[in-house]
Amino acid sequence: MAAPIRLIVPGTLRYRAIAVRLVAESARLVSQSARQDPKNPLANEVRDPFDTAVVSAFAEIFNNVAVHAYKRRDAGAIEIAITPSDRELLIELTDHGDPFDIDEVAPLPAELDETTLPEGGMGIHIAKTMLDEMTYEPGPPNQWRLRKVLPATRAVSNGRS
Amino acid sequence: MASPYEVQRTDAETKLAVRGSLDINTAPQLAEEIDKIIASKPKKVTVDLAGLDLIDSSGVAALVKLYKGVRSSGGALAMIGARDQPLEIFKLLRMDKVFNL
Repeated sequence: MAAPIRLIVPGTLRYRAIAVRLVAESARLVSQSARQDPKNPLANEVRDPFDTAVVSAFAEIFNNVAVHAYKRRDAGAIEIAITPSDRELLIELTDHGDPFDIDEVAPLPAELDETTLPEGGMGIHIAKTMLDEMTYEPGPPNQWRLRKVLPATRAVSNGRS
Repeated sequence: MASPYEVQRTDAETKLAVRGSLDINTAPQLAEEIDKIIASKPKKVTVDLAGLDLIDSSGVAALVKLYKGVRSSGGALAMIGARDQPLEIFKLLRMDKVFNL
């Protein structure tokens, strides 16, 4: 297995786009998805389902670390290790901010209508639902482990039977 | 950086086109415009998401606030054009049916 791709960024939202772009490119290593517009490598578009899941989940966890662990202050770093393999992508994030109780995150309302539409608390739900595995170990350091597996049918079509 | 949104107002309708990435960094810009739209008590608002490439929970929250604000003053809001990652997020959150996406 190749060495992980590593990135260390200040734990603020200013560096979010850099981290998200690296994760998107790493997801493409696994999904082998093509760019819609190969002439525009800086486009934000994410269309492949695997890439969509990985990018959406990672972005929410990065937000969570910057906002809740580091309280929107430049108070520490986020260490990101990305391990792509033929059939899955593993992303590990480590921060040294305040831990939080993931069990206190409220689930989405059972029935959604105009009155129950949530205006917050959706990030963890998005990440958890998009991934095959998401674990959080409060610290310090706090450690997130995000894992997304390429569906078997996709692996076969990519020539990875 | 290009504005992540564009607003067109007529007597009959307010059109809001959102493009690029609507996320925790860009949603605050849109939130100011959303407050203005809600305060104007429009009868009809159309939110065009065809140009939106990426959204996160902060972006969703901004659009939910707009939806609730317009509806609470008796207006109608339609969201159109959602595709790819944003559409998947709305489906995951089960909001696609509420917004008729």
